[in-house]
Amino acid sequence: MEKNFIIAGFGGQGVLLAGEVLATAFMLANKNVTWYPSYGAEMRGGTVNCEIVASDEEVSAVNKHDTDFIVALNQASFDKFLSKIKKGGYMIANSTLAKEIKTRADINYVFAPITKLAEELGNVKMANILALGVLAKASKAISLEQLSEALDSVLPAHRKNLLPLNLKALKIGYEYDLLPV
Amino acid sequence: MITEDITNKKVLSKGNYAIAKASILAGCDCYFGYPITPQSEIGEYMSGKMQELGRAYVSAESELAAISMTLGACSTGVKAMTSSSSCAVALMQETLSYATADELPLVLISVMRGGPGLGNIYPSQGDYFQATKGGGNGDYKLIVLAPSNVQECVDLTYKAFHLAHKYRNPTVLLADGLLGQMMEPVEFKPYPYAEIDNSDWALTGAKNRKSRVIRSYAPLADNQCKFVEKLFEKYKTIEENETEWEEMGTEDADIILVSFGSTSRNVKTAMKLCREKGLKVGFFRPITLFPFPNKRLNELASKVKKFITVEVNMGQMINDVKLAVNGKASVELIHKAVGAPPSPEEIQSQVEELI
Repeated sequence: MEKNFIIAGFGGQGVLLAGEVLATAFMLANKNVTWYPSYGAEMRGGTVNCEIVASDEEVSAVNKHDTDFIVALNQASFDKFLSKIKKGGYMIANSTLAKEIKTRADINYVFAPITKLAEELGNVKMANILALGVLAKASKAISLEQLSEALDSVLPAHRKNLLPLNLKALKIGYEYDLLPV
Repeated sequence: MITEDITNKKVLSKGNYAIAKASILAGCDCYFGYPITPQSEIGEYMSGKMQELGRAYVSAESELAAISMTLGACSTGVKAMTSSSSCAVALMQETLSYATADELPLVLISVMRGGPGLGNIYPSQGDYFQATKGGGNGDYKLIVLAPSNVQECVDLTYKAFHLAHKYRNPTVLLADGLLGQMMEPVEFKPYPYAEIDNSDWALTGAKNRKSRVIRSYAPLADNQCKFVEKLFEKYKTIEENETEWEEMGTEDADIILVSFGSTSRNVKTAMKLCREKGLKVGFFRPITLFPFPNKRLNELASKVKKFITVEVNMGQMINDVKLAVNGKASVELIHKAVGAPPSPEEIQSQVEELI
């Protein structure tokens, strides 16, 4: 069984870090996993994304043509990746920054006001981790516990003071009431 | 003794950091470098860690300086390395030729990007010729190792230091932007090779012994002739002892896909897709590009109809496959000039077209 994920947003929203946490969670769940970033002339405020492929066997490839799950933290990412979602796949979108429009009938949409929820938590920088909570709930591909463990392992020692807030963000995302889509 | 990076459990690591950590665990005493994407993380990691460990890190003024400093350090018998990418490795060719003639255990990490010229920073395999045929002068060979995942970035970095010192020959780890930038779970086991005694040649100061000279200059014609012949005897030994490859599904194959490095990941998947369709397709991956697995490919050529090399360049390794096969089977090419490798599905459909 192989699943692939793209996490995308503005440079500065922490999509590469969110991807690293997700990849670490799969590693802790004993899956084979590859994380691959978009890299090039990227800059703060531009678009950035990373792809995570998790598999029970050897990872088949990166840079795949289609994907099971997209996490779009802004409108540009929503527009860019909508067509890449596999039939039956998921568009998980930040409805604070992307319009709730459903143009494809063959995929599942999950809209959550990720940025707003992070602001309510008190730190907009938590949006990326909060999005992982939403993804975990919608995808059922990884558990909240595995993501929590991954967060603990990814945060360096001098940032460990931020762990409680990150765990809270993860939980808020996970517990966000997903509207029937 | 460094223990902090040695762990029995897997950690998620970028290819470039994995190479840097493995170099430190292999006992690298000196790093000399000049930054270039997509391998700058190697120098970044070394700049902090080497100083912490009391080892040498020099941010050189140019690539020519970086590899020349590496050559100088190697002559004293220490483990020294540099790392770079395509257009900057091009600048290092002169010193690579000198290091083979000086028989110095220089380690070069080459993380390929798009070329020719400045090209771009995306992955590529366009430097197969650069690594295996070289741009330096004279008859020489570099040992070339090609990892295909992040774990192999560690294991083959260890091996690069080992082989460089075992044979006193410059050794290249040929990775690419895809491997350098991706993260995968990886295990850092302790350096598995025994240390090699170099007390009979290293320049350590001629106290209580005769002085030594390391040079690549033989003014008398006969001397140079003998020297080059001796070098090639060494290369023959390396071929006999160190040739390494991976093969899968070759027992009953009609067609064998040949690929190295990061591209081979997609090729292996393409081979499985072909098998699902009932096509008898096998997979062959040279891990050492020099020594190239000529003998094994030639054996396989007696049993199969066709080889197809898959490369991200305009067709470079295909020449070596043709030489190895020596007319016993046809050899075709699936390729892309620069960038991420063709997808398994693209490779599969092109294989079907070529049948």
